[in-house]
Amino acid sequence: MTTLVDWLRDPSPTSRRQARLGQSYLAWLRLKRNHLAMIGLAIVALLVIVAALAPWITPHDPITQNLRERLQPPLTAGHILGTDDFGRDILSRLIMGSRITLFIIALVAVTAPVFGLLVGTVAGYFGGWTDEILMRITDIFLAFPKLILALALVAVLGPGMENAVLAIAITSWPPYARVARAETLTVRNSDYIAAVRLQGASAARIIWGHIMPMCIPSVIIRVTLDMAGVILIAAGLGFLGLGVQPPMPEWGAMISAGRKYLFEQWWVATMPGMAIFIVSLGFNLLGDGLRDVLDPRNSGK
Amino acid sequence: MALIEIENLSVTFTAKGRPVRAVKGVSLAVEQGESYGLVGESGSGKSTILRAICGLAPVSGGTIRIGGQPLPSPRGADFSRRVQMVFQDPYASLHPRHTIDRTLSEPLAIHGIGNTDQRVTQALKDVGLPPNFRFRFPHQLSGGQRQRVAIARALMLEPSILLLDEPTSALDASVQAETLNLLNRLCAERGLTFLMVSHDLAVIDHMCDRILVMQHGQAVEELPREALAKAEMKTDYARSLFAASADRMLDA
Repeated sequence: MTTLVDWLRDPSPTSRRQARLGQSYLAWLRLKRNHLAMIGLAIVALLVIVAALAPWITPHDPITQNLRERLQPPLTAGHILGTDDFGRDILSRLIMGSRITLFIIALVAVTAPVFGLLVGTVAGYFGGWTDEILMRITDIFLAFPKLILALALVAVLGPGMENAVLAIAITSWPPYARVARAETLTVRNSDYIAAVRLQGASAARIIWGHIMPMCIPSVIIRVTLDMAGVILIAAGLGFLGLGVQPPMPEWGAMISAGRKYLFEQWWVATMPGMAIFIVSLGFNLLGDGLRDVLDPRNSGK
Repeated sequence: MALIEIENLSVTFTAKGRPVRAVKGVSLAVEQGESYGLVGESGSGKSTILRAICGLAPVSGGTIRIGGQPLPSPRGADFSRRVQMVFQDPYASLHPRHTIDRTLSEPLAIHGIGNTDQRVTQALKDVGLPPNFRFRFPHQLSGGQRQRVAIARALMLEPSILLLDEPTSALDASVQAETLNLLNRLCAERGLTFLMVSHDLAVIDHMCDRILVMQHGQAVEELPREALAKAEMKTDYARSLFAASADRMLDA
């Protein structure tokens, strides 16, 4: 263990990989000092583990109905979090639902930021007309309230998980384009970009290899902070019946189903609400911590 | 025929809708193997001339020829292999997220030159940096070491002309001398031609065969080294500039 740490902390690395891993290790040490961020990371890690192991750790089938056991309160034998109006175990549904939540988050996280980053860096680097056209398109998307635009898209495309993901991705890329463009404008006239231009690098090479690495930290921070919003929009679509369709155990749809019983059987809606709250909180805490670690303005020294 | 010929060069920037003429009709010629200095106070347009040669500033008039050929615009790969530049601030001219290795191998990758490992280690050796610096990041280096990396980067493509934009003004005095000696040594070893900008006559005196004094974007006076040493200036401005840094020249 100590040899590995020494290897990582070596001030004169002997290979590209060691240099990169060493930098990641230092970032990890900085992140570790931030207790709230570690709590956030633990929540996100727990979500990933639960989602990965979901079929094996659910105590009951999340879809099979059992009307004799409907609306059991929490802490009933066999149903720690109670059952819903079809007698399905809420804990099992939450565990299976974590897969859907994670699936939506993952798909949005690999599409929207990448597209936004591309649009933002291209607009920022070329400037002029390219910038005008790309940023006006971005403005048009930003002018709509996110949930309304997502609703309109799902209404056109039809309800379902894939369409929900598509709608969320289409509505959430513009802020990334803005962030990436702002970051690009601060670095495009710097000497190190001038130097690589002078070496005859193509625009694609400069944007990909030299400008994007400078934008990625702010985009990653933004992504983690936005993930809570993505979960809420997905839940909102589910709540309105436009996202994941029953009997799939999506958290927003579960809240929607529990609304009818909110006063007498509060747990049906409250438990998925708690799950959404905890996961959103986890991503927000992690995002705040990552901002302290990755922000280019304080990692230079 | 001179290697670098600049005739009647004008550069006009647009700031807040108004044109700003940074360089007004400057002409100069630099011979092969010569070190030519541009001197002047801040804002006299000397750095802008270097940037104009590199195609990084908007030329509004005049011609720049290298080896008798007018420069194409955009500059192109041949230009990159003939002319390279060392920037003023070593803290701003190296990519903060690239290792020294990446910084030095990038020009090789752009021009499809192989044998990267050997060339990079040789380049570090040439500028007097230990080989274990290769995979460090710029923030792990001092200012003088960074400027050595920047010089190594400029020499990766084996150019014949090096443009130096106040290469030592961001460094402290002892490191300045080291860096200038390094440049002089590389110049002698490789037969480089220097076009150098400085506001510091001591630096220019140490390096240059001929200087051009500039003020407000215009050429004031061209002086050979001997005239500078004997303080034989013809114009008042050149004399006052010389007087202002004469104390430091006596130290050197």
